[in-house]
Amino acid sequence: MNSLPEETAPELLSSALSGEDAGVYLLSERTALVQTVDFFPPIVDDPYTFGQITAANAMSDIYAMGGKPLTALNILAYPCGLEVNVIERILLGGHDKVHEAGAVVAGGHTIEDDELKYGLCVTGIVDPAEMTSISGARPGDTLLLTKPVGTGILSTALKAGLIDEDGMRDAIDSMVELNARAAGVLSGYDLGACTDVTGFGLAGHLYEVACASEIAAELWAGEVPLFGRVLEMLSMGMATEGQARNRSYTEDAEVVTAGGDEERVDCMYDPQTSGGLLASVAAPDADRALAELRAGPCPSAAAVGVIRERGPRLVIRSGRGDR
Amino acid sequence: MSETYVDCTGLKCPEPVMRTRQALAETEGVVTVLVDNETARDNVERFATTSGCDVQVSRALGGFLLKIKPGETEPEATPVAGAACESGSLTAVFISSEAIGTGEPELGAALMKSFLYASAEADTPPSTLVFMNSGVKLVTVNGETAESVKKLEDRGAEVLVCGTCLDFYGLKDRLLAGRVSNMYEIQTALAAADRTISL
Repeated sequence: MNSLPEETAPELLSSALSGEDAGVYLLSERTALVQTVDFFPPIVDDPYTFGQITAANAMSDIYAMGGKPLTALNILAYPCGLEVNVIERILLGGHDKVHEAGAVVAGGHTIEDDELKYGLCVTGIVDPAEMTSISGARPGDTLLLTKPVGTGILSTALKAGLIDEDGMRDAIDSMVELNARAAGVLSGYDLGACTDVTGFGLAGHLYEVACASEIAAELWAGEVPLFGRVLEMLSMGMATEGQARNRSYTEDAEVVTAGGDEERVDCMYDPQTSGGLLASVAAPDADRALAELRAGPCPSAAAVGVIRERGPRLVIRSGRGDR
Repeated sequence: MSETYVDCTGLKCPEPVMRTRQALAETEGVVTVLVDNETARDNVERFATTSGCDVQVSRALGGFLLKIKPGETEPEATPVAGAACESGSLTAVFISSEAIGTGEPELGAALMKSFLYASAEADTPPSTLVFMNSGVKLVTVNGETAESVKKLEDRGAEVLVCGTCLDFYGLKDRLLAGRVSNMYEIQTALAAADRTISL
């Protein structure tokens, strides 16, 4: 969408149009408004869970910017004839998740549509001095990821009937989980860039960080935690079209992989819903940050790569030692 | 041998894989699939390869043509629902109770214990075991039988345990062998078996 005019207001500290997770608008010296919106069709069968996941996903952008959500507005499109009970469950799931985050639902808008879609527009605040963005990665930083990946492949398998929700319980629990506590832990360390992993997949979001920060990123595919049954479902042909789109989007990326890892590399491009935070942390802090994440809110957190000064924007290797 | 043609142009994933799967289940002959994008091509190819089929891919008609020949190579993995192309004799054991037969419960439990023990030691162990209803207790609270089932699993048997039943008995956290499954997968596994032993 390069034809759209650029926003140049001095109060606009960050714009989602430039690839940031949310728009940030300066209100006063110590306070900026953080705004984001996200909506999509159901990715799980249970309406309450769908509502929770959608809300967690929407608020995730606020956490990725270092902010705190305050209010949320529902956006709902539903096919005529859908049971009222289902709609109530979706909205209740969203409401409960918003409240868990310490925010409130301030209203919303509903329309009729052929396909059910739900989402939220979330407003939060951030201290501009504490704000994190995708452009702050520094050479030498270690990349930490707070949740496993593979929700796109598993949601496709669910749609195909190859697994049911019990078969992807770990992924559902993870999607429902707010990134609030992970962000809280990370804020205690020397952070470079921070983003949340969603539609572009881990590789796509890291590529955005690398471009915005003007550095080179290296991703260790073999170190990235995957949800259970992701590789099995990939071998059953459950990749999404988004995966191919993400791959072509990062076509600059030099992909270096050891034999047999092609499927793990595919997972790096799998679009995520309510994925974890991807943060570049100063190397001396990285081990302690990782240990605190693992002992606390993110038992699956892992060090998944490193930032370098020079090189291709994104290199995907099998592991940290592979050249 | 018969040939089936499946046109998957214009279909979004996972639909091409589901149509291919359906076609493979309905015929023993060659299935030819036409897709119009690379993701669908890779997905159908992976699915067919995982299911133990031979696949040839060519460019055609503005897309890709996949010629899928069942069953000449062994399956790479143990796919949940990819049994359509597997060859050889597959035995499934369906266990829906903690005991064998309807007499004295104590005798029935002892019989079940020795049946699972004997199965674990057999030259040709069953390829699939399904545990349902109170049968799920054999892989959770009953350590002795769970050990035999674990051994079967280590020898390559697929052990499917009904998730609904585990929920019902409140045993989900206590699974000692096998993996939590669902009715869809269980039905597919039983339908794919060459013979099923019900206990």
